[in-house]
Amino acid sequence: MTQPIAPVFHRVGNRRHEFTLAPDGNRDWHRGRVPGLSRHWLKWRGGYNPKTLQRERRLADKRPLWWLIGLGGLACAAPMLPDTLLQVAVVFCVFAAINVIWTLIIGAAGILSLATMAVVGLAGYAAAAANVYLGVPWPLMFAVGAFVGLVVGGLLALPSTRIDGLYYALLTIGVAEICRVSISQIRALAPQNSSINNVGSFIPQDWYLQRPGLLLGFATAFVLLLLALLLFRVINSERLGLQLQAAREDEDFSEAVGIDYRRARLHVFLISSAALGFVGAYYAMLYRSISLNVFSLDQLLLMFAMIVIGGMGRAEGAVIGTAIVVVIDRALIDLGPLRIILIAAVMIAVTLTTHHGLADVRSQFRGWRHRIRSERRAASTRKGGEVMPEEATEIADKQLIAYRRFDRRLRDRLKEMVTPELIEQHRSAPLGPHSDALARVLNYFRRGEMPDKYAILQEGDAGAWRYSVMALSGEPGKPPRVVDDRVYETRDEAYHAVFLLRVNDLLES
Amino acid sequence: MDAALIVYALNLSAIYALMAIGISLLWSSIGMLNMAHGATFAVAGYGTLVLGNALLPLVEAVFDGWAILPLLKMTVLLLSGVTVGALFGGLIYLLGFLPIHDKANFPVRGMIVTLAINLATVQALLWWFGPRQQALPNVFGFGRLNLFGIPLRYDQAMTIGATVVLLGVVLAWLRLSRKGLEIRAMMQNAEGAALSGISVRRTALPVVAVTGAMAGAAAVLLSQTVYVSPGAGAMPLIKGMIIALLGGLGSVPGAAIAALLVGTLEAVTGAIPFLGQRMVLVVQFGFIITVLIIRPRGIGGLLSETRK
Repeated sequence: MTQPIAPVFHRVGNRRHEFTLAPDGNRDWHRGRVPGLSRHWLKWRGGYNPKTLQRERRLADKRPLWWLIGLGGLACAAPMLPDTLLQVAVVFCVFAAINVIWTLIIGAAGILSLATMAVVGLAGYAAAAANVYLGVPWPLMFAVGAFVGLVVGGLLALPSTRIDGLYYALLTIGVAEICRVSISQIRALAPQNSSINNVGSFIPQDWYLQRPGLLLGFATAFVLLLLALLLFRVINSERLGLQLQAAREDEDFSEAVGIDYRRARLHVFLISSAALGFVGAYYAMLYRSISLNVFSLDQLLLMFAMIVIGGMGRAEGAVIGTAIVVVIDRALIDLGPLRIILIAAVMIAVTLTTHHGLADVRSQFRGWRHRIRSERRAASTRKGGEVMPEEATEIADKQLIAYRRFDRRLRDRLKEMVTPELIEQHRSAPLGPHSDALARVLNYFRRGEMPDKYAILQEGDAGAWRYSVMALSGEPGKPPRVVDDRVYETRDEAYHAVFLLRVNDLLES
Repeated sequence: MDAALIVYALNLSAIYALMAIGISLLWSSIGMLNMAHGATFAVAGYGTLVLGNALLPLVEAVFDGWAILPLLKMTVLLLSGVTVGALFGGLIYLLGFLPIHDKANFPVRGMIVTLAINLATVQALLWWFGPRQQALPNVFGFGRLNLFGIPLRYDQAMTIGATVVLLGVVLAWLRLSRKGLEIRAMMQNAEGAALSGISVRRTALPVVAVTGAMAGAAAVLLSQTVYVSPGAGAMPLIKGMIIALLGGLGSVPGAAIAALLVGTLEAVTGAIPFLGQRMVLVVQFGFIITVLIIRPRGIGGLLSETRK
């Protein structure tokens, strides 16, 4: 008894390595939802494999996976890092949180404000002053910071409705400078170089700059980053964000359908400013002091570089850009001023080559590849049995399209193999042995479709056979037709005649 | 207001006008916000330092004892500043304009690239020359001359005079030359100019070079009183930008008037005892923001010559 041969499945298609789950076909289709909301946790897409007819489950949007890998990796690796690198990680988390919130202002609200660090700094100063001079306990500093951020945001938002785009951006560059100068004028702070020190903090005094303090700082900074991302998600992908997205696409239309986008912009700006104020208070607590460096133009430009490198308007862009710049700026500290030049070079390269920063490189590359392909396709004038793009949409069986493309390429190659020597070789030995080229050509002929396939008709008596060539109709019940009236004496001659006919057909196709 | 104050105000206004008109001109003609204008300023300062140290002894040796020697020395310095500024303008053109001027979202991308140039240049200067402030050779000393009863320091007189001459030359060039006609056509309607056969690329280069030269001149003139340092460009850049904004980005007369206003304001604020020199910036910004909230298109909006 023979063993049944197990079928071998080869992975085919463009995305053959994409991971799919195989859920039980008898179970109901279902996706988990966020409790209390109609949102799904992840973008699962179910379907049936057209070949095997098995249930398949595919993650259509894999970004959560990348977030998990990136942030999870950071969280796991941080406790093992040496102190200096741990500090870099802390700086990364704080700056990434600020940039994510800033992205909300630039991307979602569409207000090109460069006064971010001014809000952070003012809130930080206010919170620190409240703690040091008024004795407010540290947990309340967050509230003070957020409140000051809200107020400053409100003041900054006033001109934003009147002045648009780049004008506003230029104006806000000056704001940080004003803040710096104003605070440096405060007499009470003058003895300590205008900084506020010994701010109360969640890090106990004797842990400060020690290993446990650094770990605690990292843990809180990481949570801060997660909170910022959550805020981004809640605002950008929910009601406010969708309203603003509609306004970005067409202001007049969105207004006509009842979206008050100016108000939505203002709301996002105020919420983001309050969040920045929160971060400012955190910043003052993390370092137990705050100084005028927060307001420096260089710091602002560095933050702007982060946003630009990653890509304005996307959370992943803000985080990627922050990672790149912080690593260059803090981890390669030996390079001196060269590292800022390096950052500027990266910034220029990214701006000149990408449309929306590094976060968008993948889709930009795909668009480019798509364009090149379609250009090439449009430029090709040969058809040769291949399906042209416009008819491809009409054909349901996509394998047919692929087969015809393959067939054309195969014929193109075989045509090059047909030479007088090859024909002579077949004439002398129709049944072999064959050279490799001849074997390939013959193999192709053998695989031909049944309609118009040639056959040899043997007539006469034994010893005096006569051969002629016929073409099969390919349809049941319909007899073959005679190709020509030539008669061959030997079977080999007939074989060769069929071969010549096929070669002729091949070269003409 | 006493006479010295007026002179001081004019002196400041001259420097600001050179910076702000450059920024404004660039925005109105090619639609680029040049954030590297401050870098041009600093580079021109250092370029003048290097060139001046090399050339001045030569000039002194050749024209020793001539009465116009200080004037010649000043001309050499100014020329080297203008040349270096124009060359740096060419670099900005190559990096920040040529590759992206016909791409999507050019204003923002141009701003980012020039910002990056600014960042890199300041650091490069810091790296090469060190953070120490350096003084440009002082040509005039601190003598004064009396003009119609007004006490005038030589360098102030030089600054005001040179600025008036430079601006006059630039404006005349814009008004009278063929290239100027092309530039003005581009200011009014970039697309229409392109359709009439004016090459944006060929016209942009002289504009960038000329605005760079103006920043270079400002650097030389200002460094008669202020030292040259790598970060020296930041303040002129910010002030120039804000003044250009106040003038209504793109309007040359608006920028000139705004520079005059802000220069006067700075001089007056500095003279008022309870405000003093340290509150100058706050008062200035407060004034400009107030004006912009009331009239978002600035002074140029009143003159109605701005680019939309």
